[in-house]
Amino acid sequence: MASPISVYNSNALDTHISSTSRESLKMELLADVSLLPGEDRIIDKDIIYICPFNGAVKGKVLITNYRLYFKSSDADVAVMLDVPLGAISRVEKMGGASSRGENSYGLDITCKDMRNLRFALKQEGHSRRDIFELLFKYAFPLSHSLPLFAYVTQEKYEESGWNIYKPMEEFRRQGLPNNKWRITFINKNYELCDTYPTVLAVPFKSKDEDLRRVAAFRSRGRIPVLSWIHRENQAVIVRCSQPLVGMSGKRNKDDERYLDMIREANDTPKLTIYDARPNVNAVANKATGGGYEGDEYQNAELIFLDIQNIHVMRESLKKLKDIVYPNVEESHWLSSLESTHWLEHVKLVLSGAIQVADKVSSGNSVVVHCSDGWDRTAQLTSLAMLMLDSHYRTLRGFQVLIEKEWISFGHKFASRIGHGDKNHADQDRSPIFVQFIDCVWQMTKQFPTAFEFNERLLLTILDHLYSCRFGTFLYNCENARDQHEVRSKAVSLWSLVNSKMDIYLNPFYTPESGRVLYPVASMRHLELWVTYYIRWNPRIQQQQQSPVEQRYKELLALRDEYLKKLEELQLSDSSPSSRLANSSTPNTSSTSSTPSQQYTHLQTPL
Amino acid sequence: MENNYDDDFIGEIVVNEVNFVRKCISAESSQDDLWGKLICTNFKVSFIPQDAPSKQKSKLSHLLLGEHDIPLTCLEQVVTVNDTKGKKKVLGSNQKLKFNPTELILYCKDLRIIRFCFDEAGPESAKKVCLAIAHYSHPADIQLLFGFEYQGRRYHESKGERVNGSTPRGGLQTPIFDRPSDWDREIKRTGASEWRVCAINENYAISQSLPEYIVVPVSLADQDLKQYSIFYTDQRIPLWCWNHVNGSALVRMANINDPLQQKKIDQRVFTAITKSHPQRGEVVRSDLDKCLPNIQDIQSAFVKIRQICVIDPFEESEERWLTSVENSRWLEFVRAFLKHSAEMVYYLDGKNSSVVLQEGEDRDLSCVVSSLVQLMLDPHYRSLVGFQSLVQKEWVMAGHRFLDRCNHLKKNDKEESPLFMLFLDCVWQMMNQYPAAFEFTETYLTVLSDSMWIPLFSTFLFNSPKQRAQYLMDFAKNKAIPQGEDQVVYFPPVWNWSQQLSTKDQTLFNNPMYVGKGAACVQNGEVKTFRRTKKTYSSTMRGTSASQRNGLKGGEEPLPRRGSLLSELKPDFSPVKDESPIERFFRDWFSRPADQQGVLIPLLLPSHVALWKLFFLRWVPEACIPKGGPITAYHKLSQLVDEIEILQSKLRQYKGPSSGSTPLPSPSAPLPDQRRMYFKASSPSDSPTPPDYLSSSFPFTPVGNLCRRGIHGTPISKFLNGARIWLSTETLANDTV
Repeated sequence: MASPISVYNSNALDTHISSTSRESLKMELLADVSLLPGEDRIIDKDIIYICPFNGAVKGKVLITNYRLYFKSSDADVAVMLDVPLGAISRVEKMGGASSRGENSYGLDITCKDMRNLRFALKQEGHSRRDIFELLFKYAFPLSHSLPLFAYVTQEKYEESGWNIYKPMEEFRRQGLPNNKWRITFINKNYELCDTYPTVLAVPFKSKDEDLRRVAAFRSRGRIPVLSWIHRENQAVIVRCSQPLVGMSGKRNKDDERYLDMIREANDTPKLTIYDARPNVNAVANKATGGGYEGDEYQNAELIFLDIQNIHVMRESLKKLKDIVYPNVEESHWLSSLESTHWLEHVKLVLSGAIQVADKVSSGNSVVVHCSDGWDRTAQLTSLAMLMLDSHYRTLRGFQVLIEKEWISFGHKFASRIGHGDKNHADQDRSPIFVQFIDCVWQMTKQFPTAFEFNERLLLTILDHLYSCRFGTFLYNCENARDQHEVRSKAVSLWSLVNSKMDIYLNPFYTPESGRVLYPVASMRHLELWVTYYIRWNPRIQQQQQSPVEQRYKELLALRDEYLKKLEELQLSDSSPSSRLANSSTPNTSSTSSTPSQQYTHLQTPL
Repeated sequence: MENNYDDDFIGEIVVNEVNFVRKCISAESSQDDLWGKLICTNFKVSFIPQDAPSKQKSKLSHLLLGEHDIPLTCLEQVVTVNDTKGKKKVLGSNQKLKFNPTELILYCKDLRIIRFCFDEAGPESAKKVCLAIAHYSHPADIQLLFGFEYQGRRYHESKGERVNGSTPRGGLQTPIFDRPSDWDREIKRTGASEWRVCAINENYAISQSLPEYIVVPVSLADQDLKQYSIFYTDQRIPLWCWNHVNGSALVRMANINDPLQQKKIDQRVFTAITKSHPQRGEVVRSDLDKCLPNIQDIQSAFVKIRQICVIDPFEESEERWLTSVENSRWLEFVRAFLKHSAEMVYYLDGKNSSVVLQEGEDRDLSCVVSSLVQLMLDPHYRSLVGFQSLVQKEWVMAGHRFLDRCNHLKKNDKEESPLFMLFLDCVWQMMNQYPAAFEFTETYLTVLSDSMWIPLFSTFLFNSPKQRAQYLMDFAKNKAIPQGEDQVVYFPPVWNWSQQLSTKDQTLFNNPMYVGKGAACVQNGEVKTFRRTKKTYSSTMRGTSASQRNGLKGGEEPLPRRGSLLSELKPDFSPVKDESPIERFFRDWFSRPADQQGVLIPLLLPSHVALWKLFFLRWVPEACIPKGGPITAYHKLSQLVDEIEILQSKLRQYKGPSSGSTPLPSPSAPLPDQRRMYFKASSPSDSPTPPDYLSSSFPFTPVGNLCRRGIHGTPISKFLNGARIWLSTETLANDTV
């Protein structure tokens, strides 16, 4: 490829060069596709890509069992698409054999990652039949009794990302068990709660039969268990699902006593229960057997955080897509953005997490739940933990946080994302995890030095949330993961990330172990994450790497170069008169990254 | 000088004062309020706290103003309140007040809101001070602005320190463009060989608002120019601004009054401009009045954005924040000016056409557009000195009515308009998108904007070079300053920053990320390659529309579809068949990595035009992020660059004795006060974490600077939309631990 051209690939998706399938690709245009080990060609074809930015672009499309790849044949309009099939939510036929008009016959593809693709084919001879059927089959393998690509890939990494999170190690890091909290394996066969992990931390005083009785009173048996404990003041974050109060206002003494044990564990007068839902929703849940903790819970206060449910969030993001893709709404951008309510939802989630974190850091234990305790609850506990515990702000710690609060505690990734499933209109789908990552991004914007990882990590996580290349985000809970042997048969996303950590490191990172991070959850500071939501727009393509970060890395490389030169000079010139250099070289090892960028154009104005 | 004018701040006189005044520090509680004396002088409103002020590290310490001082020129509105009677009055000059004020609220032009309470003060003296402040902030005449008093005294008192003939302009590096040599240098720098300095306006013989020396096409004789001048508004003949290396020129001019003559004059002038183009490139005219908001619109947008940022209660305005920002139209206007300027860049850079900016008087919108175009095209103007020369050339010398637009005399609100502020915001947008392209920082832009309200510098006080010359001549006469003494010496411009800030504080202007070209790309009178070398687009350019030729078709609009440059992308999926050349130009430009020392075009998607938080929100306590914000990255960058500079100087030192026989005269390491970075490289013993005083408002502080009335609750209330419980106060106190 000669010139740097506008390339519409998801460049956060890393591909590996494979020699196996290369042979089968005789077509010159597609010769430079790097296929993954285990990735196979399914079909390739001449096609026209109806690019929303450049218009109709002729080229070739290649479909493998992992991706859809398109490259234009016209050098003048160089367009490339590289889309994992997992990112596809819907494939439709557009136009018919008799449709009039240029390029009116083809395929219309809706993606989960904020874009749509449209291809046109020749109208003669049912030219789209084979490609449509194959695409439909491989984009939705589970609907066609095919395995997800994560089970097909042959990728190998030195370090297994599955080892990043070991529940016992993480509990020990937090100082558990102790004389107030014990670790229980009561759920080792997923009998107490089929959507919880096997290892749980519960109040020391609680007996196993207490846990069983509490499970009977909590939606889907998701009993209150410890997520995090404050090392100094011993206040805890406990998560669970709603109590099964119902219309009749049932009470459960065991549940009430159990919550009081949580309060007693660090001996504060009051336990705060955060119900993530709006008050009215919590009341409405009584009709379906749910509800919230009433006055019968002594020594407890209940606070509603007004966060909307998965359906509201899904519609909000849909509206956002409407105003950013393919073109950014021009005339009333800000009010259109406001009317999607996306930032308002982000604000409510963040301000809820701030309250949780504040309560805990001032020594009071909290219980967090929503309805089932796997969507809003996961958002709140993980964000609060990110604010409270600097360990989770490291690259590895963040992986642990996601593994722990999201994956192991049964955020229903399979249902929310719909991996390999053709049912695009499924009401269970919702961008809850995307919203969480957005909140994290907002925090990194407000505290550019507080996180060890950079934006690229967040983009990579979101890309592979859909890609189905890794096992990390597959299935709804640990129970299902065990059944499908995902950890032995598929690769973890963290294997990829940790094999080339340096590209995910934030050069500005300055560890501050004791610091609690309170972002300002105000519309004044919350921004639309344009490098994610508007990244398919070619106008912002070149800005994907943060220029400030880029520049800092260049300067670090320059610093290292000078240090090297100075060292060389000191070695080569050992005459006593010139031994000036050792005197006061400032701290040079404050940042660990040593980028290998070129710094030819680098000049500081001196 | 801080907090104390008793040490004879030269020329300053106390007009009135009152004791036992309480200055409100936070809107929520009065426990931090300060007790002290409120003073009105002929320069400022001052507050002297009883207790010695706690040294706040987070603030810029201004050399002329203390922490609690407000120059009278900075006052926007003086409001007195009587709480018990429920009365409120906005005070002007020479007014009466029928009640004893219990409170004084000062709304400042720099967006601060400062409150004083008189609950323990003598009611009569409180009233007197309020009236004095109101009166002295409405000067009847420009000569009553404190700068005239101050600079006269300063001139005489510092006389002894000046050695005859040494550094005539106080060592000022910024060209003022009040003499032919400054223009000559600019002609050479840009390679504008077909343009000359013309002196027909010497002693302002032709135009009241043009500078004495202007640059015109060589093919036009003085005689022609004199003849044409009578047809232009205020005799403002076309004024050269800048030349592209490809030969195209940027020119600005006023309207021609006589419609009968217009065609003829246009033709002659445009022909001359074409002749000055080595490739005889066509001339494109852009009528700014037709495609950009007018000064009243801009003023009303600024009033609205100020209202929502600092005056409206914080929490209440959260819900509709984005819509309110949109309704203010401020960002829309910022975008419109950037967009229009980017279009001009297309003509100059992409089409080799000369551009003529035309505006009724050529003194408002033209200033913004011509300076933005040059900022986008010429990296020289992105250096500190280059930027200041740009302001000098396109604003001060071109006759922007600073006196009227700033409304320093508070006489005519209709003339007030924050065009310069709008320009600074546009510069910030560019800086926000290309953080390594500017030598200076957003702190510099903010301090520059604040300097508009300190009446001690000649830069922002006058409507035109002529007015400036006249007043300063009278002034020199009154103050017995000898004839022939340079105005820049006795009434200096703002550009000598040591007038306001310490050397250390000035380092906050330095952008550690800057990718500079050292000596601003002048070599042998030729501008060196500051534009991209590969211009593939010019060869692939598709047809040019006929209406763009020479801009002479009866003055018709040469530009296709004004103001909708980037919106011309076609709607969903309809194939884009004919991309216009201008779209093609931008698409090409954006498809390549940006060269910091080349042409820079801002992204103009509405999603990429942001609110300038440091300027608009720096005083808002609820919006302040403790130990956060972009400054924390700046802190690390500065430390790294400081370290690099120490290493560089060591390397130089090393090379000295070993490479040559004579040791270099340069000192071993930069002395602490010569170091360019505000934050110094940390030594191994230092903690690498950002200092506690950093916040998103740094180097400014909301403390005591924004007290709206009638807001209750704690500052933490910002967290609590939709929730019901206050955060514990312990956490507040431990926030930064």
